[in-house]
Amino acid sequence: MIRLTIDGRRVESRNGEYLLTLARRAGIEIPTLCHHEAVEPAGACRLCMVEITRPQWNGWSKLVTACLYPAEEGLIVKTSTERVLRTRREVLELLLARSPRAEAVRRLAAQYGILEPKYAVDQEGDNCILCDICTRVCATHVTGAISRVNRGVAKKVATPFDEASDVCVGCMACARSCPTDAIAFSQDGATRAIWGKTFEVVPCTVCGAPTVTREQARWMAQRKGVAEEDFYVCDVCKVAKTGLSCRKVMW
Amino acid sequence: MESKLMHVFPGKCTACRNCEQACAFAHLHEGRPTRSRIRADADPQLREGKHVLVVCYQCDAAACVAACPANALWRDTETGAINHIAERCIRCGSCVAACPFGNMRWEPLAQHPSKCDLCKGDPVCVRFCPTGAIQYK
Repeated sequence: MIRLTIDGRRVESRNGEYLLTLARRAGIEIPTLCHHEAVEPAGACRLCMVEITRPQWNGWSKLVTACLYPAEEGLIVKTSTERVLRTRREVLELLLARSPRAEAVRRLAAQYGILEPKYAVDQEGDNCILCDICTRVCATHVTGAISRVNRGVAKKVATPFDEASDVCVGCMACARSCPTDAIAFSQDGATRAIWGKTFEVVPCTVCGAPTVTREQARWMAQRKGVAEEDFYVCDVCKVAKTGLSCRKVMW
Repeated sequence: MESKLMHVFPGKCTACRNCEQACAFAHLHEGRPTRSRIRADADPQLREGKHVLVVCYQCDAAACVAACPANALWRDTETGAINHIAERCIRCGSCVAACPFGNMRWEPLAQHPSKCDLCKGDPVCVRFCPTGAIQYK
């Protein structure tokens, strides 16, 4: 068992979990934008910075990202020292200057007293803060259709060569997992467009309500070895079918 | 595993929809019975005073669990319920498409799936059923 203290509270970890997990379990709030339980941490947003020290370090301390730093025996973690807060504010200033319209960034910045960033605001800045949740979610759990491309200020999330992806199934996991709603998509009843590709949302075979995209159904069917047609009935019609079969048993 | 089961007695159901209201209040904190996780009078075709309740079966070999690419659906070993872990969910909608009984629902406002979690072992719908059409034992 690894024993350490976070903000004066003694916490224990059996298998060297990351500091963020331990802090949250102990009820200590650390702000994050790039953290998602479904994927490995990436340390992309730099908001979860905490200060660590040890008694034998003679007052020396360092800043680490809580989401990537594993628990160590005897570690003393502080999550809201002046140095931590100053760093966090600086990160928020930069994020807000980059994405001035992103609601999640604005809300968090306001909590830290930042309404207008001190840096030049990128008025054309989109909402993407390059947190990498979408690319990690897609690569880990779906088909890996998107990744970060280019370098420096030109860095962005895109499909290879910005072309309609062969492997994207249009499941929208990227757009729905995005903390800042940065991924553009459009959908009406029968179609869904995302990442430059338009998908057909298959109508329910019973009532015609939209179900899933043909590509997603095919992907799920292939993964689990079932028929693609199994997925083309909406939940309301499936409940009705279940009800009908119950009725046959009862009466 | 000695867990209780949700028992549904369609013959006792009067389609009063108390269970739907109770479920909506318990999980959404507002009276929106259309988003309830239990459905009273599931079959719209045949009425004749015969009403069927449909609620998640917490299947042993569950299609929703098999379809979830992110392992966001886990069985609670105490209640036997398959719980949807919102933090782990990537909101791809696979579980909703996979459930053959329509008990995995899509929450359009929150944009994530929702399912019966047996209210951590004390289903609210059971408490509000006046005729005993749903029992948890």
